[in-house]
Amino acid sequence: MSEGMSEHSEIEAVEPGLEFLRPKFEVEGFPWAQVMGYVFSLLLTFAALLLVVYHAMPPILLLAVILALALGQAGLQLGVFMHLREGRGTAWQLLPLGLAFFIAFALIGTSIWIMLFKTGVS
Amino acid sequence: MPAFLLYLVHTLFPPDTRQPTELGADFMILVTGIGIVFILTRYQKWRWLWREWLTTVDHKRIAIMYLIAAIAMLFRGGVDALMLRTNLALPNVRPIGALEYNEVFTTHGTIMIFFMAMPFIFALFNAVIPLQIGSRDVAFPRLNAMSYWLFAFGAILFNISFVIGGSPNAGWTGYPPLTEVAFNPGPGESYYFLSLLIAGIGTTITGINFLVTIIRMRAPGMTLMRMPMFVWSVLTTSALIIFAFPPLTVALALSLLDRTFGSSFFTLGHGGMPMMYVNLFWLFGHPEVYIVILPAFGIFSEVVPTFSKKRLFGYTTMVISLVSIMFLAYGTWVHHFFTMGAGPTVNAFFGLSTMLIAIPTGVKIFNWIFTMWGGRIRITVAMLYQMAFIPTFVVGGATGIMLSVVPADYQLHNSYWVVAHFHNVLIGGTVFGLLSGLYYWWPKMFGFILNERQGKVAFWLFVIGFWVTFLPQYLLGLEGMTRRMYTYPFGFGWHELNLISTLGAFIMGAGFLALVYNIVWSLRYGERDLTGDPWNGRTLEWSLPSPAPEYNFARIPVVHGVDEFWAMKESGDTLANHLRPQDVKTLELPKNTGMPFMLGLSFFVGGFGMTFLWWPIAIFGGLGVVACLLYAAFDYNDKKHLPADVIRHTERSWGRLQA
Repeated sequence: MSEGMSEHSEIEAVEPGLEFLRPKFEVEGFPWAQVMGYVFSLLLTFAALLLVVYHAMPPILLLAVILALALGQAGLQLGVFMHLREGRGTAWQLLPLGLAFFIAFALIGTSIWIMLFKTGVS
Repeated sequence: MPAFLLYLVHTLFPPDTRQPTELGADFMILVTGIGIVFILTRYQKWRWLWREWLTTVDHKRIAIMYLIAAIAMLFRGGVDALMLRTNLALPNVRPIGALEYNEVFTTHGTIMIFFMAMPFIFALFNAVIPLQIGSRDVAFPRLNAMSYWLFAFGAILFNISFVIGGSPNAGWTGYPPLTEVAFNPGPGESYYFLSLLIAGIGTTITGINFLVTIIRMRAPGMTLMRMPMFVWSVLTTSALIIFAFPPLTVALALSLLDRTFGSSFFTLGHGGMPMMYVNLFWLFGHPEVYIVILPAFGIFSEVVPTFSKKRLFGYTTMVISLVSIMFLAYGTWVHHFFTMGAGPTVNAFFGLSTMLIAIPTGVKIFNWIFTMWGGRIRITVAMLYQMAFIPTFVVGGATGIMLSVVPADYQLHNSYWVVAHFHNVLIGGTVFGLLSGLYYWWPKMFGFILNERQGKVAFWLFVIGFWVTFLPQYLLGLEGMTRRMYTYPFGFGWHELNLISTLGAFIMGAGFLALVYNIVWSLRYGERDLTGDPWNGRTLEWSLPSPAPEYNFARIPVVHGVDEFWAMKESGDTLANHLRPQDVKTLELPKNTGMPFMLGLSFFVGGFGMTFLWWPIAIFGGLGVVACLLYAAFDYNDKKHLPADVIRHTERSWGRLQA
């Protein structure tokens, strides 16, 4: 028994700095936040789909509404699933997040700029 | 019942697939398949295959599986290329017709990019990165295996299109409206979208996995600016993958919705916008060419210092140029469709941003040359590929700059000049780089050295064949030959150049055969690598035995500078000569699992069902995916312990443990 104990204490921990990756099943309860986040994501998606499929409102209003739904969806994903609210000392996940936002907006912005040619030539 | 069977045969083997070439391929696949099953059964290797390979989560074994897949796909893509070149060897002589030619160039491009270049770079990522950063594994070993099996089953789904149902035929870019179901009925394009979607999930996961691995799992003391340059290149490549693959996924998924469910995102009618597909595709496509070239840059940055016996010249500028290429790579995609006519401002902006990329790339070229300058150069095969790369890539880069000049692009667009340019950079850059890395790291992966003399024969065949193939294509482009022509009439002055080009393609084919012969010969007779450091290397992977044990490092090294292993050898203080028994601890390693394989299989079944719109099969596959993910989420028994005594025994057998 003591042999097994000493052997166990010899086990090297996971890589230094990666301790947080170990699941903490004992301390955490049922992941209600994640389940509800999943359900709400689906609701937001189907709401947008149904609004478009049934032409529920005039086009401009429709655009505004699905844009609002998309922003809600993005916030939900970031908050519930992308660990935005979890701090582990330094908040350095904000750097890649900022990069992601920059790239997303740059790509969407330039794509709109590029595709504007249709209004120019037609 | 016979009616059902008739329907099945007609759907799976429609009349236009009943060609001699495809029936030949069917026969070959059948024979090879039976052969493999027979050998596995005869030597009772099924259990071994499942236990040791199909369920493995060890990054070194996953690397080998990626490599085998990449070489097999290089063969398939190469045979496609030879078929294309044979068709164009002489005017009006066309062994294969227009439709089949379209299918062959589509599969050639798709396979070479997605199923050859990508797994080849992932093979080297997996084989080298954890060893170079002094880590026992990647951050997420199971996800790593998932990546592999998603890639592998995506590749299988794509490859069976040739013999079952019909190949995609709209080019490797798959532009609408040519991929619309109205203009392109049949399963071909659905195969294309689904297989790339499935493999794309795997690729995205790999990008995340290696980014996390490099950021979180480096050995103590290895600051970012002490990382080997290959690690830097993989870090930037992973960042490119993470941001570049989502636009591709969106483009493919929306196209699939258009084909399968009658939506109209990219259709000609109903307010669809086909050019938006082109925009999204190249939003991915341009970073993609840097995804396949940056690892090659990293490989050369390892090979050149080792074989010049000098520290890499200009480490900091190398890092700065890698990171600036990474950023600039996102800002140039419109140069693939200047002729769409987005207007002078847009085109000028993207022309300029394209030219900008030449600056950091030029810095890297000069740094490699300065590293060799005054070094003690050993001409090995790995080094030969590097020395062939520099002039080849400079020509490819220079022709790229010429294409970035918008008025010139309007003339050269869609001509053989473009074909010559991108093969110049993809073969001269990526393939030379990958082959250089293959020869360089082969001993570390397999424990024996590839025969150098045979390797040099393969090298010369490949490089000479490359120039003979693609130099004439520049001239053909200037003479007005457009790409994707399946034949051409006599009297355009194209036939001599085309014949030379075809000749070159067959020389390259011979180079590939020489490479395979080299591997098979060395497998039996090649020199075993007993030291673990056959090239007098500079980075940590060479401090381990070849091949590295399952746990990589018995004790994690502490890093004090760039080229840590070189410094260790200089001071006589290697990992092996001060490892005492009490330093060895029992290790926790990830346990093998069949889940990734089953997940890939489920995706394959679901994808096959969706390709033929057989919904019960598609739903069955989808349920399989959900089941695998649920199993993975609740499988807490995913670690095993490797006792310290076993490690001590292994290390002692290598003579790496002090008494």
